[in-house]
Amino acid sequence: MARNKQIAIILADMLQFYGLDCLLKEYFSPLQISYFPNMQALAEKQPDWFDFYFTDAETFLIHGDYFLPRRNKTIVLVDKVETSGTANNLISTRSSIETMIEQIEQVLLAENTNNVVETNNKDLSGREINVLQQIVRGHTNKEIAEHLNISLNTVLTHRKNITAKLGIKTVSGLTFYAIMNGLISGDEIEL
Amino acid sequence: MALIQPNMSMSEVVEENTSLIPVINRLGIRLGLQDKTVREVCEDHQIDTDFLLIIINTFLNEEYFPEKRLQAFHVSQIIDYLNKTNQYYLRFQIPNIAKHLDLFITHSESNNATLNLIGKFFQSFKEHLTEQIKKDESEWFPYCLQLSGQLQKSISFNQEEIRSFSDQETNDDSLEAVLADLKSIMIKHLSGDFNENLCYAVIFAVNSLEKDIKQHNRIRYRILSPIVHKMELLIKTR
Repeated sequence: MARNKQIAIILADMLQFYGLDCLLKEYFSPLQISYFPNMQALAEKQPDWFDFYFTDAETFLIHGDYFLPRRNKTIVLVDKVETSGTANNLISTRSSIETMIEQIEQVLLAENTNNVVETNNKDLSGREINVLQQIVRGHTNKEIAEHLNISLNTVLTHRKNITAKLGIKTVSGLTFYAIMNGLISGDEIEL
Repeated sequence: MALIQPNMSMSEVVEENTSLIPVINRLGIRLGLQDKTVREVCEDHQIDTDFLLIIINTFLNEEYFPEKRLQAFHVSQIIDYLNKTNQYYLRFQIPNIAKHLDLFITHSESNNATLNLIGKFFQSFKEHLTEQIKKDESEWFPYCLQLSGQLQKSISFNQEEIRSFSDQETNDDSLEAVLADLKSIMIKHLSGDFNENLCYAVIFAVNSLEKDIKQHNRIRYRILSPIVHKMELLIKTR
C-alpha cells in the first residue's frame, strides 16, 4: 500500500498551525503531519523524509538555501490580500477557506496521478483464497501455516492483504464473503 | 463541533444533531422539547446535567473524551447508563435493523441468495450482542456494583472473588468490527437485483448502531474497567 503523504509544517504561530492542521486533516486525509516551531527543530528530524512543507514567508526567505531546491514541494503562507496571478505555491492567509482548499489541492494532488497504479488488483490470489478458506473453517494461523506448508509470517501477510483487498476484518465477515462467492459451501460452516 | 452547554436550548441542540435522539430517548427524555434549556430538561427528568452533557458531547465528538471527569462519576451512574444503552439496543435498535432487513430481503429479487446470507450474518451478530448483554446483566454489572458497595460500607471482601471476572476488549471479532463488516459487505460486495431504497435504510440503521456501540465501548473499556480495576486494588491492599 502507498505510504501516507508526509507533511512538515514549520510555523512559529501555534494557532496558524492548528488551523492549517485542521484544514489538511479534514480535506486531505490520510496525511502524516509533523509540526516544527522552527527550522532547528526540523533539522533534527530527517528533513528529506517529507513530501511537502508548509511555512511562512519569513522562514522561507531566511532559509532560502533549504527551500529553493524544494520549492515545488513547499507551500508558503503569506499575510497579504491575494492578488491575481500569484504563484501556485503561495497561499494568502486572508483568502477564503474555499480558495485555500483549492490551492492546497493543486499542489498536493498534482503528482498524485502516477500514484494510483499499485493497488489495482483487488481480486484475491489463489494462495489468498486458500488462506481465506482455512480461516473460515476456523483454523488458527499456526494450523493454516502447517496445512498450506508456508511460514507463519506468510500467513499473516496473506491475512493482511485479504483484509485490505476485501475491506472485511472479522472472521464472521470473511465467512460471509466466502459463502457469498462460492469459495466455501454454506453447509460446511455454521454462520 | 462546538460542545453543548447547559444553557443551550435542547430542541436546537437536537435539531442540529438528530443522531442524539436515541441517546436522549434512552435516558427517558422524549421529543416535544419546547423551549427548555438542556439544564431545565435534565432537572425535569432528574438527570445529572454534567453527566448528560458529557455523554452527548462524547457521543458527538470523537476527539472529546474527558476521562478524568467521567471516572469521577459514581460507578452506579455509569452502569445505569450502560444498562440503558443495552436495553435500548435490545428493544429498539436491533429490532429496527431486523425490520428493515426483512423488508429489504422480501422486497428484493427473490432469487438473490446473497441477501439471505446477509440476513444470517446479522442474525449471528444479534445472538452475539444478546449474549454479551445477558452476561452484563447477570455477572459483570452486579460484580462492579458489589465491589463499590463493599468499598463504601468497608466490609471485607472475600479475596477469592476478586478478579474472577474481567471485561477485556477483544480485538478480533468485536461487535463494532462485525457491524463495520456488515456495512462494508453491503457497500462493496452486493450483487444481483435488490431494492436500493431499503438497502440504504438497512445501512443507515446499521451505521447508527455501530456508532452507538463504539461510544458504549469507549465508556465500558476506558472508564468502567479502570474504575473497577482501581477498586480491586483498593480492596486487596486494605
